[in-house]
Amino acid sequence: MKIAFKLAFKNLIGAGLRTWLNVAVLAFCFIVIVFYNGFLNGWQNQGRQDAMDWEYGHGQLLHANYNPYDVFSIQNGHGNLSAEKTEDLSAVLVRQASVYPKGRMNPVLLKGISIDQKVIKLPIKLLAQSDVEFPVLIGKRMAETLKVKAGDQVLLRWRDKNGTYDAANITVEAIFESKVATIDNGQIWLGLDKLREMTGLTNEASYFIAHEAYQPTAIAGWEFQALSTLLKDFDAAVQAERIASVIIYSVLLALGLLAVFDTQVLSIFRRQKEIGTYIALGMTRNQVLKIFTIEGSMYSIFGGIAGIILGAPLFFYTLSQGINVGSEIEGMGVQFADVIYPTFGLTLLAGTFVILVFTATLVSFLPARKISKLNPVYALKGRIS
Amino acid sequence: MSEKIIVIENLVKRFPVGEGEFTALSDINLSFEKGEFSGIVGPSGSGKTTLLNIIGSLDSPTEGSCTVMGKRISDLSHKQSAQLRNMHIGFIFQVYNLLPVYTVFENVEFALLLQKRSATARKKAVMEALEWVGLEKMADKKPSKLSGGEGQRVAIARAMVKRPELVLADEPTANLDAKNAHAILQTMKKLNEELKTTFLFSTHDEKVMAYLNRLIHLEDGKVAQDEWVTAKSTR
Repeated sequence: MKIAFKLAFKNLIGAGLRTWLNVAVLAFCFIVIVFYNGFLNGWQNQGRQDAMDWEYGHGQLLHANYNPYDVFSIQNGHGNLSAEKTEDLSAVLVRQASVYPKGRMNPVLLKGISIDQKVIKLPIKLLAQSDVEFPVLIGKRMAETLKVKAGDQVLLRWRDKNGTYDAANITVEAIFESKVATIDNGQIWLGLDKLREMTGLTNEASYFIAHEAYQPTAIAGWEFQALSTLLKDFDAAVQAERIASVIIYSVLLALGLLAVFDTQVLSIFRRQKEIGTYIALGMTRNQVLKIFTIEGSMYSIFGGIAGIILGAPLFFYTLSQGINVGSEIEGMGVQFADVIYPTFGLTLLAGTFVILVFTATLVSFLPARKISKLNPVYALKGRIS
Repeated sequence: MSEKIIVIENLVKRFPVGEGEFTALSDINLSFEKGEFSGIVGPSGSGKTTLLNIIGSLDSPTEGSCTVMGKRISDLSHKQSAQLRNMHIGFIFQVYNLLPVYTVFENVEFALLLQKRSATARKKAVMEALEWVGLEKMADKKPSKLSGGEGQRVAIARAMVKRPELVLADEPTANLDAKNAHAILQTMKKLNEELKTTFLFSTHDEKVMAYLNRLIHLEDGKVAQDEWVTAKSTR
């Protein structure tokens, strides 16, 4: 085997440009596959972490009638829990309302959360320092939608628990910036006590956000959703993207491997005398077959190494600077940070390398199999068709 | 009594041609002793190369037997054939068949790599073989940088480096001018005398025949004449 590697290496180096063209194609495939998978991994890791930090905490305990995806469930989707059952939980009350910035009407969700909460990164405690009568917190996206800035006042209209309309001017105390669009778009955050007072829903909550220490137990009328359940849609979106990416880089890899296959077929035809000479000098057909197969594998080994070396500047640059995907992509319905930081783990690099080498070895072996059946006399005369 | 290294008995070789068969060799009975400098001579298509290929275990007889170094060719597996060629037989081809991506040194070294000899032993043997053919200063050159005569001398070094008992040379001078052909033949004759290596040529070149001690004339696949001669050229 050592000899086969040595000879294959010499043959490849000796083949010059033909080798380097194949290596370049495979290196390109390697870089694209690693980069795209790194991007998806980064997106998934970042998305999951951001969702935990800003929205889900360590799971959510939802009122049985409350469905975050159904606005009609908000009216009756609330209830109260005794203090001992809400240990390690932060309550959130959700209500529907309308705001009227500059005379336009915008339907919004009012979300009340304890000013003292620490389970998510939402900077709600800023409201505690406010000296205005009715301070609220909104996200950057919401501010853009409403065309308001910090300090602006907007008319808010809501209904209390009996369905009676009430209205007041709210003041945008601060505008927060989060990568999680689903706590920002169409939402106005305020203190939980204030919202309970406004709506008459004393001690009520639509859902609770779980702290790390929370141990879920069955509570009648409430349903605990673990983080994995809450992130199911997001993970599914990433997975769908991953499947689409597999198709893209399978095509790319197929083109790269076609170059190796083509080279191998031509090699066996063009290097017949060489094959015959190997056999005349004392190699078995299988040893020659091994050389040709290893040559194909070596294209991919060189391609992988070249891919790591040539791709390193790109990988390191995107690791430190991230990839700016812009806010336009948020319309897809899944959380996307403006800047995605890819994750290039050892598993990704090694896995891609193994796939590349395995497939290249396979496509090299297929045409090279012919060697195991050829007649050395014909090979020496160059008469293999 | 000299040791017989090749024994051929009632050998027949047929090739399929279309729906029929073509008989390339028929009723060949020959034997060769260690140290011979012999040639199978005859016109093109007489079966010289076919016989050489069978002796070199690159092909096998259709009928009869060919025994080389005590091994019956038709009974050998691919692996055993390869082993026989690697350990005991050196080949010299008409077009040299040097491996283009290897240097002169590496081309000569090749057979020793297969024998798994140590790097030190390989280097010593290769340099010695290159000295025999006067190319020790060209060890680092690629075959493409060599003249025809130099290329064939590398092929001789490659065949001889493993000190085989038998060297099969198929039209070794066909691509060489007269001066180079004589130089090559003198080298081979010298190696034959010094190392007692058996050389078996396939040729129709008068220059080669002048060096041979035994001429086996093939005509239409049959031995027409088997004569021992006194070599006309010894230098």
